[in-house]
Amino acid sequence: MRYPNALLVLWIASVPLAAQSYKAPRTPDGKPDLQGIWQVMNTAAVNLEDHIAVLGMPAGRSVIVDPPDGKIPYTPAAAQKQKENFKNRAKADPLNICYIPGVPRVMYLPFPIQFVQTPKYVLMASEFGHTLRTVYMNGTKHPDVALFWIGDSRGHWEGETLVVDVANHLPDTWFDRSGNFHSDALHITERITRTEPDILTYEATLEDPQVFTRPWTIRMLLYRHKEPNFKLLEYECNAYLEDAEKEAR
Amino acid sequence: MKKLNTLNLVVASVTAAALMTFAPIPGAGQDKQKGGKGKGGPPGGEQYGPYYAAPAKAGDPVGRTPDGQPDMQGFWTPRFNQAIFEVQDHPTAQPGIGPGKGAIVDPADGRIPYKPEAAAKAKELLSKQIYLEPEAHCYVSGVPHAAYQQFGYQIVQPAGYVLFLTEYAHTYRAVPTDGRPHISPNIKLFRGDSVGKWDGGTLVIDTTNQNGKTWFDMAGNFTTQSIHVVERITPVDTNNINYEAVVDDSTIYTQPWKIAGQLGRHPDQNMELMEFACVEGNQDLVHYTEGVGGKAKEKGALRQ
Repeated sequence: MRYPNALLVLWIASVPLAAQSYKAPRTPDGKPDLQGIWQVMNTAAVNLEDHIAVLGMPAGRSVIVDPPDGKIPYTPAAAQKQKENFKNRAKADPLNICYIPGVPRVMYLPFPIQFVQTPKYVLMASEFGHTLRTVYMNGTKHPDVALFWIGDSRGHWEGETLVVDVANHLPDTWFDRSGNFHSDALHITERITRTEPDILTYEATLEDPQVFTRPWTIRMLLYRHKEPNFKLLEYECNAYLEDAEKEAR
Repeated sequence: MKKLNTLNLVVASVTAAALMTFAPIPGAGQDKQKGGKGKGGPPGGEQYGPYYAAPAKAGDPVGRTPDGQPDMQGFWTPRFNQAIFEVQDHPTAQPGIGPGKGAIVDPADGRIPYKPEAAAKAKELLSKQIYLEPEAHCYVSGVPHAAYQQFGYQIVQPAGYVLFLTEYAHTYRAVPTDGRPHISPNIKLFRGDSVGKWDGGTLVIDTTNQNGKTWFDMAGNFTTQSIHVVERITPVDTNNINYEAVVDDSTIYTQPWKIAGQLGRHPDQNMELMEFACVEGNQDLVHYTEGVGGKAKEKGALRQ
């Protein structure tokens, strides 16, 4: 009897998230209401893959659900480049000089992120460097003339799930502190679902044939900030960087 | 089609801003700032300083959002004379700042009612503005400067909030209208802490907790952490919003003072805010001399 049980466990683990039963309250225009201030409780910002702790970077488990080994499917050359990035991270991490984090990194930084919805837009405002994502929900296409630090996001609803197509990425952003990276061929499909009243399940599939041998998928939870009157404050990174440079002189 | 890198766009904007700042503007500057029709935007607009301002055009009655707020949603451009250069009337040209009108309606002379020591400090800062102007360092603007920000902004009104999304440096201001109190006075922020409430057809925003690191303009008119601002924002019709703000700070002013201006709806309501990636594109190294910005030079070098 052990074998069927194991199969049952496997089957439960593979139930798609969309099949779960919670139905979110609706906005005035009838869409699932994802509004609120959210934040992850994980170490994806340190490293998307399994990682042991090093100075200032806590250990954590991979948020990569596909491929099953939890590793980013780099091409051999890209894998080498990531190793160099890791070694040079103190200087090379774009966040250390306060650049816009890019997608998906802005979603799992250890800073709160506020979701706002209107019929035309879903806005995501991060406390880190007042980074703002606008997801256009009006059926428009990606522009064909510009690349953005935060990419270009166009979304639609599939039942309970906000599906966002993100393209037009500048190649200069990283995925995490460990130098995991991409090129300007990066294409992301995000699936964001309010799976419980105070939880968003965030999933993103990343494709970039210049850097990865196959698409891969991360999945994690964002938790609602429920503290009374919680609001975004500021992390004005470039101002603090200047202050630190003045102090160092 | 080859994709353009937004960095280039941003460099272009920052460079344009720098040229504007450093180009010597003799007496002829005034004409230039009043500008002509239709430059730098859709037809029919006027130049606000060097920036596009939507034409003043009567609209329809103001609608309501689903939760009953007067509906101001959309894209707006400010009309505040040349306050973006200097918030007070400035009849005399300064390096990088042509003569022009500000937006102060009280006191009647259009000037900030500084105490003598504060006036001396503002004068000193004006003489160093090319190095010290906070926006040249990509700092977020404070309140009320954010209301007459160049390049305009978008207003979004989900239930319980009014949000202002500015193109400059991709900043946002999220003003809760749920009656909550201010955060602790121990916390200071570039943008301060804003709480709003609707008083009939007027949005009243009370802002405290500013960090004293922002200016009203490019001309050294500084702020302190004691600043208290009350803005009154009244949509008149679907194309026009009246704006006024009372600024109080007894540490540097002899009396509260007031600015007023209008917001005009941008004719292109399908427009999208572009990404003004300020820090990432800032190669305006003149602002980062050894004495002021230090390693920012290396940041610039990294991007080249």
